[in-house]
Amino acid sequence: MARILIKDLVKTFGAYTAVNGISLDVNDGEFLILVGPSGCGKTTTLNMISGLETPTSGQIVIGNTVVNDLEPGERGLGMVFQDLALFPHMSVFENIAFGLRVKKVPDAEVRKRVTAAAAAVHIEALLDKLPRHCSGGESQRVALARTIVTNPAVFLMDEPLSSLDAKLRMDMRTELKGLHKRLGATFVYVTHDQAEAMTMADRIVVMSKGRIEQVGTPLQIYNRPATRFVAGFFGTPTMNFVEGTVEVSGNGRRFRAPGIEQSLPDAVPAEVAGRSVVLGVRAEHVLLGDGATLKGMVQLTEPLGDLTLVHFDHGQSASLVAKVAPTTSLQPGSPVSFQFAGTYCHLFDADDGTRLY
Amino acid sequence: MTVSTAMTPEQARARRLRRERRGRIVRHVILLAWTGFIAFPIFWMVSTSFKDAGEWVTWPPHWLPHAPTLHNYAQIFAFSKMDASLSRQAAEQAFTIWKALGDAVFVCTTAALLALLFGTFLAYAISRFNVGGRYFRHTILTIRMIPPIVVAISILIYYAILIPFASFTVMGARISLFDTYLGLILIYTVTTLPFVIWMMLTFIDEVPYTLEHAARLMGAGRMTVIWRVVLPLVASGMVVTFLFVFILNWAEFLLALTLTHPQVTTLTVLLNKFQSASEGRLYGPQAAIGTMITIPVVILGVLIQKHLVKGFSFGTIRR
Repeated sequence: MARILIKDLVKTFGAYTAVNGISLDVNDGEFLILVGPSGCGKTTTLNMISGLETPTSGQIVIGNTVVNDLEPGERGLGMVFQDLALFPHMSVFENIAFGLRVKKVPDAEVRKRVTAAAAAVHIEALLDKLPRHCSGGESQRVALARTIVTNPAVFLMDEPLSSLDAKLRMDMRTELKGLHKRLGATFVYVTHDQAEAMTMADRIVVMSKGRIEQVGTPLQIYNRPATRFVAGFFGTPTMNFVEGTVEVSGNGRRFRAPGIEQSLPDAVPAEVAGRSVVLGVRAEHVLLGDGATLKGMVQLTEPLGDLTLVHFDHGQSASLVAKVAPTTSLQPGSPVSFQFAGTYCHLFDADDGTRLY
Repeated sequence: MTVSTAMTPEQARARRLRRERRGRIVRHVILLAWTGFIAFPIFWMVSTSFKDAGEWVTWPPHWLPHAPTLHNYAQIFAFSKMDASLSRQAAEQAFTIWKALGDAVFVCTTAALLALLFGTFLAYAISRFNVGGRYFRHTILTIRMIPPIVVAISILIYYAILIPFASFTVMGARISLFDTYLGLILIYTVTTLPFVIWMMLTFIDEVPYTLEHAARLMGAGRMTVIWRVVLPLVASGMVVTFLFVFILNWAEFLLALTLTHPQVTTLTVLLNKFQSASEGRLYGPQAAIGTMITIPVVILGVLIQKHLVKGFSFGTIRR
């Protein structure tokens, strides 16, 4: 059993609070990804789980054991670091064997297990090389093999793909996901890359300023962000935000802002009426073209091949962005009509950013 | 955009080549002059070591010995007092190199190894646990700014007076560190420790924390981490530091002169004793010893050149 329970975890460094009372339940065999911007406390949380940092307060339970006072090596964890932390003076074989050698596993057993771990990540041919003679992708696999070889129940990963180029990163994502399936172990993975989180996680924990903003499946996070921060953090390009108010007349709900009037679904709660809100709408839900009533002026187009991003001004300080077909004829300076797909609009409180609808 | 110039591309190229050649010549002239300036005393020392007494101080100077002789070397390498028939100088019998060489090798090596051992662990503690606070690493080096003579006199008082007096009072036995191997090793270890800490800090700081974290997560204890991960990665640095400290000890004069005599004698102290009542300073044997002192340093340097380059470039870790 490798369920991880975190209760009211706090970590302070002097006057600075890195992790501010988070609680989390990681299921056995789950691929959980902690995601957030730099300094949000995700790596500190991971380091507390691993035992490399001591919590200021709170409790960490792995399996059925409270591990707060256990040494890192006694927690039954494997960890892959951002810089991979391969020992540069040891061969790939000795790197992988290190954990077994420390535990004084007999030589024959070490050889067998190292070979098996190397085979699991396809690096059998590298065993005699030094890490500096391995490419980025190969080093990544060595780090994985070194973690696999001790059969940990929990894998901790601290931005392990951040040093790879885009293509290799995509390949490794698929591999990691496959590895998770094969091993059936619990993975806790830290990244600031929302695309990595979306593609690999069973559940995502979004953190900001030492607190958890939202826990949910990738689609829950994307489709129903709990706060304006989460809505803005996930999705490329960033969600469009417009400040305004909601009016309720009869059964109809309308969002009003200077230069924008947008009907909203009836499901928007009536209590929202009259409050300052922020309307959030993703670029793919901004519709351009005939029939749209709102007016704007194209500032910039970004052709991405499979689609084009159109940035346009609507008379307010912040511009809006829409995703359109790559065949669009819009050019900077062209007038444009737009509207939002009302069903996909999100409403957030203008003050604290919590989700209203 | 256009480039306006009155020169053709060929002329511009010729001008560039001319400037480059002039630069190369000036550079080489300066370097040669500097090399000559640095190397002259060494040349003069080696040359004098092969000269007979009459040629040591002459005018005009003999740049090279007119009658080369190995007598100076025979004198310093003599195993016993020289036979009167071979010895032309009254004072030369006493000055053979062997005792001083043995003492110097033993004291300098032991002190350098001890300083390296303590210094490496202290540097690790400072690097990893910030022992002594933020500015401690700088404070350590300022200790070396104290003039050696200040230390020498204080230590002499301890070695020759206070420690014997205290030991006699407490235990009834007079223990003195003056003129002992232990005394000299101790003072050399202490005085070179700041250098070791300073140098080893640079190397240990280069070892990424995550390597130690990775080892600890795999179950390694602190000592295993140091022994199997940190030390192998700073081995080049340790070699460089050892060499540096060994040479410092090897060339040290003032402390050895103050704290020893006549039981323990290092080469630098011996060098100072080459004086005879009849002939004044004995430049020939002195030059021969000077040459002998320099040779081990040069050999060590050549042998560990690879480590020196690696160590001084501070690029010991390749991630």
